[in-house]
Amino acid sequence: MEGDPMLRIRWFLVICVVLTILLPLTAETSSSALQPTEELQPRFSSAFALVHRAEAAGATREEVAGLVLLLNKALRLDDEATKLPTSDAQRAALLAQVDENLAALETEANRLELTASQRTFTNRVVAYVTGGIAAFLATLAYVFTAYVLRKYRIKRTFQMRIFPKVK
Amino acid sequence: MFSQSRRNLLVVFLTLLVIFEMVAYVTTTPRPREQFFQLYVLGANRLLSDYYPNNDPNIGVGDLVRWHVGVTDSMGSAQLVVIRIKLANQTIGPPDDLQAQPSPAPLITEFRRFIQDNETWEMPFFWQIVNADMPEGSTRILEMQINNETYQVPGLTAVDGYNFRVILELWTWEPQSGTLQFGWSSGNERRVAWLQVWFNMTSSARQ
Repeated sequence: MEGDPMLRIRWFLVICVVLTILLPLTAETSSSALQPTEELQPRFSSAFALVHRAEAAGATREEVAGLVLLLNKALRLDDEATKLPTSDAQRAALLAQVDENLAALETEANRLELTASQRTFTNRVVAYVTGGIAAFLATLAYVFTAYVLRKYRIKRTFQMRIFPKVK
Repeated sequence: MFSQSRRNLLVVFLTLLVIFEMVAYVTTTPRPREQFFQLYVLGANRLLSDYYPNNDPNIGVGDLVRWHVGVTDSMGSAQLVVIRIKLANQTIGPPDDLQAQPSPAPLITEFRRFIQDNETWEMPFFWQIVNADMPEGSTRILEMQINNETYQVPGLTAVDGYNFRVILELWTWEPQSGTLQFGWSSGNERRVAWLQVWFNMTSSARQ
């Protein structure tokens, strides 16, 4: 059996296939043909859209900073996971953490969008109502000033003296 | 119906109301502003100097070059920015500002990060050539190390080792198209930001 040339060729082919699969995994250097990231994963994309919506609703800088922190944490974990082989258990654990982070981010972004839009609406209503009150107070001031001026003019009129012309 | 004075009062009140409501509108409505990014490279001491070891642009194998790369977001919202690092020689074209096209130079690596409005992301960018060979009259860079990670360079050659350059391109995420784009959109305009720093790798540097 051991002398069978067909069997030796078959074994040689099996070893070649195994080496072809294993060698890239053990290589220390990165691949020269680095594939650029052209797209974000859909989970990142939807989470990022929620952050934009919270911002547009009027979330403060500090609130957005918390969301961006979560996004970057998920991105870092995702980068670490993609460096590991697909069969690695640690990769699966990292990807689970990415999902966990993004889920937390989505909940927080939705909450922020709601509170920020309510706050923005309240601020707007307060600003317009204040404008109306200010207009009313300014009108009162105008009326009072007109009244004082009229009284002053009447007073000045009655204080006038008539002098005969001196030749 | 209304006396003249009451009519005057009403006109005054309405005029003041319009003025104050306009003020309220202006204060509650965010003003449109110019949207842009800022991309920069600083030297070893985070200044616009000391870009090369001993201020000599002739770099040898194993010479560690310390730069700091930064991006500032002034787009008015959070953005995903990607800095792509490319290595080129004199014959490879730079990015095209007018057509907003990236450089055809080979991509070495990229760095991604989400940054919020008015935030600056600055990162150390320490690199060195770890493997190069010198066939007759030229230098070919084979491997490059960036921030302690080694990358293979697909056969980049320069005559006598002159005029290599590191190109840094700023890419951003475009939510409308759902893809990364070189530069960014500001209104109907496409704008780009990129930098290049030249260096030599002549035979004298290798000794």
